[in-house]
Amino acid sequence: MRKLLYTFVVLFSMSLAANAQVRTLKGKVGDQNSAPLQGVTVRLQGKADFLLFSSVGFRTERIKVTAAGTLNVTLTEQVNIMDEVVVTAGGVKTKRKEIGTTSSIIKAESLVAGKSTSIAGGLQGKVAGLQVSNTGGGINPNFRLVLRGQRSLTEDIVVLNGSGAAALYGSQASNGALIVTTKKGKNGVTQVGFSQTTTVESVAFFPKIQERFGAGGSGYGVDLQGFGNFSYLENQSYGPAFDGSKRPLGPPLADGSQDSTYYQFYPGHNDFWNQGLINQTDFNVSNGDANSTMYFSAQYVGQSGTTPGDLYNRSNVRLNGTRRIGNTINLSYSTSYTQNRYDITTATGSMYDQMLNMPVNVDITRYKDWQNDKFANPNGFYNPWYPNPYFTAANNRSATRNDYLTANVELKFTPVKGLDFVARQGITTRNYSNKNTTGAFKFTDYAKHTDASSKSDIAASVSDGMGYSTQLLTDFFTQYKKTISDFSLNVILGGQWKQDQSKGINVSANGLVVPGLFNVNNGVGTPGASESNSLSHSMGAYSKGTFGYKNYLYLTVSGRKDWVSILAPENRTFFYPAAEMSFIASDAFDFLKNSRTISYLKLRGGWSKVGQVNLGPYALLPTFSPASGFPFGSQAGYTVGNTLVSNNLKPEITKGYEVGFDLNMFDDRFTSNVSFFHTNTTNQTVSTGVSGTTGFTSLRTNTGETMSEGLEVTTHVTPIRSKDWNVTVGGIYTLLKNEVVSISADLPRLGLTGSGVGSYAVAGQPFPVIMGYDYKRDASGHVIVDANTGLPTQSDTISNLGNAQAKHKLSLDGSIKYKAFTLSFLFEYRGGYQIFNQIGPGMDWSGTGWRTALYDRKRFVFPNSVIADPANPGKYVTNTNIEIANGNGNNGFWTDGINRGVTSNYVTSADFWKLRELSIAYNVPSKLLANSKFIKGCTVSLQGRNLLVWMAPDNYYTDPEYSSAGSTSNGIGLSGYETPPSRYYGATVSFKF
Amino acid sequence: MKNITAIILSGVMLLATSCNKYLDINTDPNNATSASAELILPQALNYTAGMISSFNNYGVQVGGYGANAGGYGGFGTSITYNFTTSEYSGLFSSSYDLLNDYQTIINKTAGDANYNYFNAAANIMKALHFQLLVDTYNDVPYMDALQGSKKLSPTYTDAKVIYKSIADSLDAAIAKINAGAANTNVVPLGSADIMFGGNTTSWKKLANTIKLRILVRGNGKVTFSNSTFSSDGFLTTDALINPGYTRDNGKQNPKWNTWGWGYTGSSGTKSWMPSTFSKTFYDGIKLTDNGRGKAVYYQFPTTPTNQLGFEGVSVVSSPEGTFWFPSTSRVGTSAGNSVGVLKGPNAGLPVITASESYFIQAEAALKGIISSTTAAAAFSNGITASFKYLYTLPDGSVSGNPTADAATYLTDNPSSYLVNYGLATSDAQRLEAIITQKWVALNFVNSDQSWNDYRRTLYPKLVNTPGATAFQTFASRVSESTRPDKLPTRVLYPASEGSYNTANVPKGISPFSSLIFWAQ
Repeated sequence: MRKLLYTFVVLFSMSLAANAQVRTLKGKVGDQNSAPLQGVTVRLQGKADFLLFSSVGFRTERIKVTAAGTLNVTLTEQVNIMDEVVVTAGGVKTKRKEIGTTSSIIKAESLVAGKSTSIAGGLQGKVAGLQVSNTGGGINPNFRLVLRGQRSLTEDIVVLNGSGAAALYGSQASNGALIVTTKKGKNGVTQVGFSQTTTVESVAFFPKIQERFGAGGSGYGVDLQGFGNFSYLENQSYGPAFDGSKRPLGPPLADGSQDSTYYQFYPGHNDFWNQGLINQTDFNVSNGDANSTMYFSAQYVGQSGTTPGDLYNRSNVRLNGTRRIGNTINLSYSTSYTQNRYDITTATGSMYDQMLNMPVNVDITRYKDWQNDKFANPNGFYNPWYPNPYFTAANNRSATRNDYLTANVELKFTPVKGLDFVARQGITTRNYSNKNTTGAFKFTDYAKHTDASSKSDIAASVSDGMGYSTQLLTDFFTQYKKTISDFSLNVILGGQWKQDQSKGINVSANGLVVPGLFNVNNGVGTPGASESNSLSHSMGAYSKGTFGYKNYLYLTVSGRKDWVSILAPENRTFFYPAAEMSFIASDAFDFLKNSRTISYLKLRGGWSKVGQVNLGPYALLPTFSPASGFPFGSQAGYTVGNTLVSNNLKPEITKGYEVGFDLNMFDDRFTSNVSFFHTNTTNQTVSTGVSGTTGFTSLRTNTGETMSEGLEVTTHVTPIRSKDWNVTVGGIYTLLKNEVVSISADLPRLGLTGSGVGSYAVAGQPFPVIMGYDYKRDASGHVIVDANTGLPTQSDTISNLGNAQAKHKLSLDGSIKYKAFTLSFLFEYRGGYQIFNQIGPGMDWSGTGWRTALYDRKRFVFPNSVIADPANPGKYVTNTNIEIANGNGNNGFWTDGINRGVTSNYVTSADFWKLRELSIAYNVPSKLLANSKFIKGCTVSLQGRNLLVWMAPDNYYTDPEYSSAGSTSNGIGLSGYETPPSRYYGATVSFKF
Repeated sequence: MKNITAIILSGVMLLATSCNKYLDINTDPNNATSASAELILPQALNYTAGMISSFNNYGVQVGGYGANAGGYGGFGTSITYNFTTSEYSGLFSSSYDLLNDYQTIINKTAGDANYNYFNAAANIMKALHFQLLVDTYNDVPYMDALQGSKKLSPTYTDAKVIYKSIADSLDAAIAKINAGAANTNVVPLGSADIMFGGNTTSWKKLANTIKLRILVRGNGKVTFSNSTFSSDGFLTTDALINPGYTRDNGKQNPKWNTWGWGYTGSSGTKSWMPSTFSKTFYDGIKLTDNGRGKAVYYQFPTTPTNQLGFEGVSVVSSPEGTFWFPSTSRVGTSAGNSVGVLKGPNAGLPVITASESYFIQAEAALKGIISSTTAAAAFSNGITASFKYLYTLPDGSVSGNPTADAATYLTDNPSSYLVNYGLATSDAQRLEAIITQKWVALNFVNSDQSWNDYRRTLYPKLVNTPGATAFQTFASRVSESTRPDKLPTRVLYPASEGSYNTANVPKGISPFSSLIFWAQ
């Protein structure tokens, strides 16, 4: 890309001056229906050989310039909801060439190639420096977005995805910003689109289970070989090896009937998960004339999940428009209303645990019909201790409704050319309610008292919550642009007001009396009730100036002062400046201008400081609340809150710089962006665990410094570009170094996920690290075992077991176009980090875990172990023959704390490769559609997401993208009982009318 | 342009003036940001009741009263005793959470003579909880503890130093109460005192009783500054906490709530049952005690039992409400109103029973620490008070005749010096009788105190030879302990201390060899 030559309406004409030749071109740009297009950008590419025609919402056309004459160009539209997503670290929307920092634009085409139902899913692997992790399984999963490493030591991260503002974002953008630009109508074009996508979801990776041993254990005696005996009701798989014989399952029922199974492996643990189905229907219509545009869209997504019984749907309508009023006023608006509904189980974790506690000689899928099948019914279910997981999923439900309204209206007044006054009001509001229920179940006396049963009646309960959260964002700014000969000036001066308000109410009741009536008035005892309210204000005054010289050198300086309500008056004001520079070398120097090799070279750099208040309202004072049953009648009682607070908290400050360049070569057949960044965040507002002996369990204070730096390289090559063929391949590589520089003298480390084993910030270590128990080891790392029992010992205190943040991220993408066919793919790799798989101890407990059969359930010598050398006290010798005797049975090594309590047994490499996206699309050529009078375009595509996953060989458990701490916590590195990761594959057909 | 700039500037000026109004909205609408001593004390006392109940659970499980019941597995370290940092960690963390409530009262009322009663009550309870901590963990943070951000990594204080210091603070609390009584403006404890209803004499007796417990346990190991007691004497009635327990959400007696039934009628914990060893003191194998046996156990004398660590399908499941609830009316939504240890959802929770007070006095008299009573008299009072506590219904009324049944108890065991104190021929036998009777009296009442006494005195006597039966020892069949009695010596400090107080937490603690300073 070289220069922006001109932007025309409908018609264009231009003169090209290259190699002393002058050619004049004239022509017309229209869409597929030959309707003239507005707002088309025409650029000259390469050595003036090509012209690029682009317009928002249309595919860019590249036309070879042959001779002077008339050109008629047809742009084809892209059928997408979002036009483009711009990710910037500074949060300012502006011309890309002026930007001195990295910004990535994700075209809608790329965003929706894999047909993810969420934007976050569509962004995975597509933005340099942005890590998008699917933190949980299940329906409408959560994603965690982290730009350029974690900075904040606290729990929350800010992901800015509001469509409200487009100027300066203020504090919210201190971790980067994600800006979604929605579609608008076009002048003179009426268009109707419709598309239907059907996607199948299935489990892509199962925890690895042993397939050789079934129910039983040494608690039932041992056979001659020392294997635990079979038991017809045991949940643990520590019985003898499979022999295929028919065996009873559970005690006989009250009517004398007996459940049974063949003592062999059944793949029920994998078949338990359903095949999910997602149906997505999109409709849109747009229109425009000289004074106004309109865009309307509607969407419906219906989904059934891989967890039996989980359902989800989402409906959305959107109306965007612009209107010119007189010659000086432009009004634009966008509104979107979304509602989603969940009907899911609340007991995913216990359901999963119960499933793992069904030995693999039991075909789980036989127990689906718990209402009618007497062996699947909780009364007759063979296992007296762990309920039927199908029953648990069905009996513990959550019905949630969320309604979202986002709306923006902007009034732009342009009294004279170059001077704008803009007023903008935005609202983002969510209104929700949910009802969680547990059904009652009364067991028969026979079920309760047969064979050491622990079945006991389940009391019905209900919990009902509702609330809202609303953000109002008001902006006033004025922008002044002026160009005087070689110099340009663009100054913005403005103010911003933000209000966040929310309320939540929850009531609950237990012991529901009338069966099936889930209402709080149907309980016994005092219903539970809680209320929370929150209101905060902030305002900012900002100014920004961009000074340009000859369209190739830009300097931008900006400053902002914020006032926030959530800090004490003496601390609530703070100022932060930034500066950046952009230099388009390929426009500045003649030798580059004329270079046949280099088509575009931009050098850029920037420095910024951002203040941020990482705190909710009302966090400055200690709190006292009623506890442990109070009030008892008229007697009140209050307890002291457990957080040590300070009324003197200050904003956190992030300072950073970045430098980089964009280089395109060989007529843009090679494109690249390279950036290096470095940020330091100090004075963090931290809420961390402290020793309970202080009287408190957490401390909220300003302390600590984190650093992140990294290298981002994006490069693409187009080896084949012809009339019929276009092949582009490339990739994005991100190297990230994310460290905790210091915390404080008082606190050597901060727990991000509570006390004990978990995710920690430790000074001088990567951020965060997994800390947990290990075995006691000698100086060279061998595990020390007892010379008599062969048993290792757990370490006294927790230690660093690995970093939880991926050091290397690489994505490889490509697209191959042949005529009307487009094949595209995207692979993503993350590496150089670890994860603690918390499901591991549970799998070893149940005896289904792969590890438990590593030594064939026999005595074994602990690998890589040493014993104390009796001849040399304090020295150790290699252990070659002291075996752990109880390597078998359900009171043995595998179920004991000495295995399950040692974190390092379950900390594995988190490295993975995934085939994120693969799609093939066919654009039905217009001549084939000519027969139909009304269809103007048709595309058919097949696509898949997360089709293939390759985990590290020691990861037997689950997707290392998962984080049991949730999508908003920095306490990453721990996965739990999330539903197994899914792959999606489906087909889309879309029409244009 | 100039006009526009002027407009903008005046706009900014206007904004600045309304700025404070716009920002001064940070008043918490959700939680109180201050609370008076009158509001904190009742909550703290009720928290104490919950903690005492948790300590009792620990005593039941480790101290020999309970065993694993049928239908449950995964007892892990509960039956191997090879404790990790997670077992019973709540005893540590919740104690300090609770102590912070008492410390807040102490800090709030310090120097305010009108609040002497509140200050004294908080100090007495603080002393009680530090004794419970020391008896469980030996050295714990004390001098540096409860100071908030002033000491973020509190150091550990020697257990003996803590014992001496809390004995002193109990004396000081009694002096404060006496000073309060002389002050006409003193704020009475009133309804905030959900233990004694504002009776300050009872508070002084409680203080003396705790101090006596400390002096007896620290006898010969700690040099106390004052070994005399105020004339108020020791507890002669049960110190019960009852804020108005009732069968309602979060408002049940905590012990009932754990072991009996929830307020909805759902069953409490069913994973434990009486130990075979414990029943031998009732069913005639060691001693005959029909009165208390029937009051404590369901289906006595045929109550099923188990030996800790024996797992198998033959182990009987616990009924809903456990075997420690004697009543045959066992519908969860109406059960209660019974004698025994669980009694009902509305029963008060004993902090220290009169019976325990008497047995502490008996031992103190035996060892010459006090002379206000004789060991024999206190021993006899202890047995009668135990019958009385067990025969008391939740509403405080007594069912049956505890005095007569206590007398029957003596005649039912005519040749046992464990029952008939006069038959004991040596101080060792006398001590064994006192501690064994205390063990019986505290069965499922304050079981942790018995566990402390066992570790200190090794009574009740166990048979330690290999192959000892379930009647002869309460040690787990799968104990990994290296001690002759196959029992643990203590639990470990919680993982949170390893994480957040790494430098100070004592290292190398073994559940089989690290002793509490008074232990053998």
